[in-house]
Amino acid sequence: MAEASAGHATIIQDWASDVTTFKGVPWGKAMMWIFLLSDTFIFSIFLTSYMTVRATTAEPWPNASEVFSLMAFGHSVPLLLIAIMTFDLITSSGTMALAVNYGYRRDKRKAIFFICATAFFGAVFVGMQMFEWYKLISEGVRPWGNPWGAAQFGSCFFMITGFHGLHVSAGVVYLLIIAYRLHKGVYDKTNFEIVEIVGLYWHFVDLVWVFIFAFFYLW
Amino acid sequence: MASEVGQQHPLTLYFWIWGLLFVVSAASYATDYMEAGYLRWFLILAFMLIKAGYIVAIFMHLKYERWALIYALLLPPLVILILVYLMATEADYTWLTRVVYFGDDPYPARGPMPGAH
Amino acid sequence: MAQAEIPYQESMELHHPHSWVTKYWYSQDHKVIAIQYGITAMAVGLVALVLSWIMRMQIGFPETGAAWGITPDIYYQSITMHGMIMVIYLLTAFLLGSFGNYLIPLMLGARDMVFPFVNMISYHVYLLSVIVLLLGYVLPGGPTGAGWTLYPPQAILSGTPGVDWGIITMLGSLAIFIVAFTMGGLNYVTTILQARTRGMTLMRMPLSVWGIFAATVLGLLAFPALFVSAVMMLLDKLIHTSFFMPAIASAFDAAATQYDGGSPLLFQHLFWFFGHPEVYIVALPAFGVVSDLLSVHARKNIFGYRMMVWAIVAIGVLSFIVWAHHMYVAGMHPYFGFFFATTTLIIAVPTAIKVYNWTITLWRANIKFTVPMLFAISFVITFVVGGLTGLFLGNVIVDVPLSDTYFVVAHFHMVMGVSPILVIFGGIYHWYPKITGRMLNDTIGKWHFWVTAIGTYLIYFPMHYLGFVGTPRRYYDNVLASGGESAFYPESAALLNAGISITAFVVGAFQFLFIYNLVVSYWRGREAGPNPWGATSLEWRTPQTPPIHGNWGDQLPTVHRWAYDFSVPGEKEDFIPQDVPRQA
Repeated sequence: MAEASAGHATIIQDWASDVTTFKGVPWGKAMMWIFLLSDTFIFSIFLTSYMTVRATTAEPWPNASEVFSLMAFGHSVPLLLIAIMTFDLITSSGTMALAVNYGYRRDKRKAIFFICATAFFGAVFVGMQMFEWYKLISEGVRPWGNPWGAAQFGSCFFMITGFHGLHVSAGVVYLLIIAYRLHKGVYDKTNFEIVEIVGLYWHFVDLVWVFIFAFFYLW
Repeated sequence: MASEVGQQHPLTLYFWIWGLLFVVSAASYATDYMEAGYLRWFLILAFMLIKAGYIVAIFMHLKYERWALIYALLLPPLVILILVYLMATEADYTWLTRVVYFGDDPYPARGPMPGAH
Repeated sequence: MAQAEIPYQESMELHHPHSWVTKYWYSQDHKVIAIQYGITAMAVGLVALVLSWIMRMQIGFPETGAAWGITPDIYYQSITMHGMIMVIYLLTAFLLGSFGNYLIPLMLGARDMVFPFVNMISYHVYLLSVIVLLLGYVLPGGPTGAGWTLYPPQAILSGTPGVDWGIITMLGSLAIFIVAFTMGGLNYVTTILQARTRGMTLMRMPLSVWGIFAATVLGLLAFPALFVSAVMMLLDKLIHTSFFMPAIASAFDAAATQYDGGSPLLFQHLFWFFGHPEVYIVALPAFGVVSDLLSVHARKNIFGYRMMVWAIVAIGVLSFIVWAHHMYVAGMHPYFGFFFATTTLIIAVPTAIKVYNWTITLWRANIKFTVPMLFAISFVITFVVGGLTGLFLGNVIVDVPLSDTYFVVAHFHMVMGVSPILVIFGGIYHWYPKITGRMLNDTIGKWHFWVTAIGTYLIYFPMHYLGFVGTPRRYYDNVLASGGESAFYPESAALLNAGISITAFVVGAFQFLFIYNLVVSYWRGREAGPNPWGATSLEWRTPQTPPIHGNWGDQLPTVHRWAYDFSVPGEKEDFIPQDVPRQA
């Protein structure tokens, strides 16, 4: 593939050719990429709306660093849970990358193992997010208000993390379905590109979290 | 599909990137201990872009795809940057009108905010 | 690598139906799905037509309307549902769901969409969205009457009709529609990019496919904004968040829900960030289809094919940075007017290129005045008139006095209401022989055309005048509103409104004649043969008419030329289909 991707001259060749524009890209993978582009717009617009309401409100914005701190070893550690969730999601991304790699090596057993590992870390992430929601709700944060300042803090938090959490949950289900179908031999006649397709989705979920972490928790 | 299609890379590549993402995430987390200011915002954005870049380029294999696909995927989101810029300007203006018509700046000493009020 | 991919397409595994249900309901054939989309969109379009009669009755004859039981609530619900149904559930669904589904695989020489199962689900979800939308009529309070733009805060404040359930079904239905569109749209884009036949390069695609392709890409990138704003407004309505609801919305009513510091302007920006591309989601497929109609029925190649393609692409890109020209009087940042007026006027350049090219295509051509051609020509005329008023409204200074008057109503109905509808009619007359194997009745078709083309002109052209004299849009009773004696606009306005209403009733009634034609010609129409118009694109080259599931025989066709080889000098026939090899 190295020489295939070399050189900008291939852009014109590819777009001017017949049959396929994205050479060597299976239908499912092309469709997943285009879907992810569309989904990028959804999350971008969620985050843009968050930026707008945060910059518009005349109320003080709660300090995320303090709101999301946890008590550990007798100290209040800011963003502790969020940091663990971040590392958990990166770990799942790593196992997913391994699953894709083993898929293309046609090592079905290892591919299934790493897909299941990814699903496990994803489920752990959702669990931690539920804990985080529970903690905030018990502290009085609601979508329509909170004790520390602008009402939009809670609205944006629940909406954005909720939508991301839905994506993670759907991803876990998707991963498990693919693992099961791999196991049943549904994809034996193919190149196992399905593992890369589900991998693209999973990495995208991680990618979105990178932006949420930076803009919502750190900013 | 043809059997040469696919992404074959040595496993060590993934372990390197994996480790790197951990380091950058840790650095990103460390910015939370910094004083608020332009340096911190710059670092947050820089670490965010580094992480996003490695995930997209290596884990999602975009770096190894042909340029036709790379451009098709990376150019459309530029539209979002225009939306973000204009909405930041707009939000700034809305905030200003609120302060002008509904009262004083509630926190005059807060320093520059995103969009620099 | 391309060589390796073709056998895969040729042997694509197709789902084979076994019963009536699997053939017409759980069908994965893109042609059946296209017809399902078309029938549903037309049915819901007829609902919108009846709604327009209700509102025209009230505008033209306020006293009779009120006496017949048209209350302000019914009036506002009618304009809201009419607008939303026409824009989303009829035009978008018909041009992309029906034309897109039918034409893309046939014109590209593919067996089907790349993921037929997803395509099937797309239609079922679309049907669900229509049902949810119409549910507003049976739930307490009726459908929402917030105007099709659904601006908060008024859309979810008490006093607006349908605030109990109507707004919820409306927003929910939009979200469901977007899911359906995404499933279909991903299929269209992937099919166009990855499943063309041998020799079919992008620059040999018929312009219909180009228009549908660009519109689908716009849809995939613009509908997210509508989706997000629908989600946020649902949250505002259901659990009282304050994304869009400012504190002032609850300031004067102690019993009202407490809202706190949201930004209604944000909704307007998001809505139009979707809404402006939406205009081109409707217009671009119409541009594409009309280019093909003009070329085929004028027996001449389309003038400036490459320019046409680049104009479509340029319009698509620019449509994302013009949105706030809908908001000049909304109280946004004062500097925005300059930026958005500039981009809006720039978008007129590629659009004008297309109009010139259509005109030059007709220049000294062997024009056949068939029914599709009549519709195509009337599209060009209507589009020019509607487009020119767009230049007026794109300028801030001119827009400010014209905002919210009938001038705006005239503009958008001509440019994105009537124009695409004319193309849809033209397209149906053009492709009906391929879909059913029979021609539509020509006499009825000509009656339908002349009444529709002249009638719509009589309806919308006088509205420009109404706008200039200051008739506001969306008023339940203009006479009452002006103090009972037509105090702030002349008597002629009321007279014109009555005339417009009568024309609207007649033109609307003639659409049922069209439906009659569709139904009767299915059994009684003249046998069409495989290529009645002498067209060149691949859909006319299928081995069977109507094409069977899988479209082609054992082998996919091979394309050797563009789709516009008409009247080539020195050739026997005046058209050369795309799959005819070139002489050495």
